[in-house]
Amino acid sequence: MQSSRSIKRQSAWHMLASEFGESTLNEKGSGEFDPSFVITKLGSKVNRVIVAGLLERLEPRDTANGSVLYQGQIRDPSGVHYFSVGDYASDSMRELTLQLSPKVEGGEPILLLMVAKTRLFQTEEGAIYTSLRPEEACEIDSNRYATWLTKTCQDTLERMKIFTDSLDIEPTIEALTKGNVASHMVEGLVSSRNHYGEIDLEHYNLNIMQALDIAEGKIEAASAPPQQQIVSVSEDDGGDNPDGSDELGDILLDIIKKLDQGEGVDFETLITNASARGFSRSVAEEKIESLSDEGSIHEPAFGWFRIVS
Amino acid sequence: MSENKYDDHINAVLSECPNADREEVREAFAKYESEFYIPPQDALRSIIRRFKGDIAPSSGASSSSNQKSTVSKKVASLTELSDTDKDIEIEVEIISHNLREQTIRGEQKQIAFGLLEDNPWDEGAQRTRWEYKDWGPNSNISPGTVVRIEGASVNEYQGKRSLNINQSTRIAVLREGTRPVVTPGEPIDINSIPNDGYVCVVGRILSSRPDQIHRKDGSGSLDVVRGRMADESGTIGFLSWEPFDHEVGSLVKIDGAQVRTFRDTPELNFGRTTKVELYHDSNFADAESLMEQNIVTISQLRDGSRDVEAIVQITEWTKRSFVRDGQEKFLWSGQIADPSGKCRMSAWEELPINESDLPVTVKVRGVRVRAWQGIPDITVDKADQVEILESTPWDGSIDLSNHVVEVPLTELVNGSSRVGISTQGVVASVREDCGIIMRCTQCRRVLRDGNCNQHGDDEGNQDVRLRLVIDDGMSTSSLLINKEATLNLLNTTEEKIKAEIDSDGQIEFVQRLRGKLLGRLVIASGRTIVDEQGAMILADKTELVEQDPGLISTEIRAQWGVQ
Repeated sequence: MQSSRSIKRQSAWHMLASEFGESTLNEKGSGEFDPSFVITKLGSKVNRVIVAGLLERLEPRDTANGSVLYQGQIRDPSGVHYFSVGDYASDSMRELTLQLSPKVEGGEPILLLMVAKTRLFQTEEGAIYTSLRPEEACEIDSNRYATWLTKTCQDTLERMKIFTDSLDIEPTIEALTKGNVASHMVEGLVSSRNHYGEIDLEHYNLNIMQALDIAEGKIEAASAPPQQQIVSVSEDDGGDNPDGSDELGDILLDIIKKLDQGEGVDFETLITNASARGFSRSVAEEKIESLSDEGSIHEPAFGWFRIVS
Repeated sequence: MSENKYDDHINAVLSECPNADREEVREAFAKYESEFYIPPQDALRSIIRRFKGDIAPSSGASSSSNQKSTVSKKVASLTELSDTDKDIEIEVEIISHNLREQTIRGEQKQIAFGLLEDNPWDEGAQRTRWEYKDWGPNSNISPGTVVRIEGASVNEYQGKRSLNINQSTRIAVLREGTRPVVTPGEPIDINSIPNDGYVCVVGRILSSRPDQIHRKDGSGSLDVVRGRMADESGTIGFLSWEPFDHEVGSLVKIDGAQVRTFRDTPELNFGRTTKVELYHDSNFADAESLMEQNIVTISQLRDGSRDVEAIVQITEWTKRSFVRDGQEKFLWSGQIADPSGKCRMSAWEELPINESDLPVTVKVRGVRVRAWQGIPDITVDKADQVEILESTPWDGSIDLSNHVVEVPLTELVNGSSRVGISTQGVVASVREDCGIIMRCTQCRRVLRDGNCNQHGDDEGNQDVRLRLVIDDGMSTSSLLINKEATLNLLNTTEEKIKAEIDSDGQIEFVQRLRGKLLGRLVIASGRTIVDEQGAMILADKTELVEQDPGLISTEIRAQWGVQ
């Protein structure tokens, strides 16, 4: 019993940006030093991740208290991780950030691997975002990136199998334990199943296929158009809608609201985001059309949508 | 639906609110259940509150004189309670929960008892532990759960306080338990016995001998019986505080034995409330085959074990002498090994072993295990505990002095300390104090600013080491790599490292190490120390695993059918 009291280092999970970025649930014990966790749809309960990808952005920002916070994003085949490096980071991490930032601004391609703490926060409007706080990071070559991709795919596939296999079992700790579900997944699965409800795994499969293409050096597949940005929508507490079409309408409006930088949001991004939430392309296309018809959204340029204000 | 299905609950309400109308109470339960899907046990407390509220104002002073109106007392810690407190609300963690049949006023009733602790949310905080009795008993109390108890009362007996959880008490589960739940009377496997609590086991007695425990204050001694019992899953030692006359070889069922853990070794304690009875099962393994499995491997040795039997190979054996009370005494000690690993053995009597005979295979019996710095040490008190064998039961061609056992990281982290192992994991951290360190010239501790926390200022000896964390996705371990292995891994020399740090600085040096190591799969061989702080691997050999992502990718596609 004493041993369970001592604080053990949390494992780092290899994870794709899509699995992490879609999370809208976190958990923290009430003790001051209790670790906090983000719970993904697949039921991964993660305090620390090991992620890699192309460093797309790393910019200083002045904060209210006068210190400088570096915000960045790294892209893997499935999407983008957002991270920040502030005063709380270790000397070595800040030193590295200072070295990398001008390189990124200068357009130098950098593959970065990082071990980071997970974080989830909610804006005043209720939108939920994930982010990372890197503890240690380093530049890697494409071979190490490919190795990271394979390991991450393997681990993600295992989690998907555990998730799918567990669907027949009641989401309680006792039932899952009795059902021989891998012990490191049990708590996360209970929370995930109760929070996210039914989820669609298909886009994870697509992410994995593309990641494996890259790991195998099939560059044409890897250089396909970049994945669309996927944002998290906070869980609606609204009732179940049998055909889901009104829910879809709300989701689409919410996506546009969040992603619109002034010129609207492009069609593909909307479709990708809708499919990430389990709506097929045809249903989403139809809904975009009907939203447009009813005058909720308009199309200032072909294929770009904005909310009618 | 039977008419009287709420009777027990209605009686509980009426005992708290004697003026309430039986029919009204019944209707209330029915309403909670049909309209709000609240089962009667969950509705109980709300209903009591309602009927108490109903009665109190209307019946005025006359009824309040014989029925004290109670106000719920909400406390954070058990220490805030006094002997007479009733209707308490507190959040606690249930430590143990044991069911028991008890005759109350001539009626057989099931009640539960156990231990609980306050401050359930504060991991490191001082917690107060009390016993409790659950008269419900509530089905949602289980070990490890954190619950809010509403409506408990303090019971004081001979100066000792405990908590009474009454039938009307409401239990709200705030965090589900993760400890195994042990049903009474339901035997569990010996190898799954937890480190504390009450258990029921069925096993065969392998040994039994009377012993005496001398009270520390010198006020006499107690007669006890010590022994070992086994089932097919494992063996465990026992200590009976009551007369115990079952013979070696008999099969017994033991209900309500208390588990106590000495160092890392659990032991069963039989006391006044423990039920021991003969058990009949013609299929149960016989004593002889159980005796055989009583033989443990080195990887299974635990600090504090007694009556251990093992077959090991002695690979080094030396005699040492020391002086105690002006007399020269001798101690023999050395390295031993079996295919599961290596450790040490010490003997207080001379064994018939010559250094030229090594390695020698022996069977040891009835020995004890101590651990020093995490490494198990088999202690031989009498020479007749050791029997020299002609040959090894395993493939004799294995060279055990250089034998390394591959063990998954998670197994190492959750096991006891081991020697002669190899494991692998991904480098999840390269600590900032990697590289050159200074060690105390007297004790080899790492100096901080030229200062040893044991021996004060010290000029120190220079050493090289890496301090990493490796991770397999489930468990993590510190990995300390010694000088030779570090220089091999980095393909460099001590001088080059020193020069690099002197010219570029420690941060830049560590950052370059991360560039080489972070996220890489590494294989490390050496020994482990596992304690409350977690696991630590002391490696004398490490290598980075070269991986071919294209190949792995093809394997993944084949394994998972991803095309």
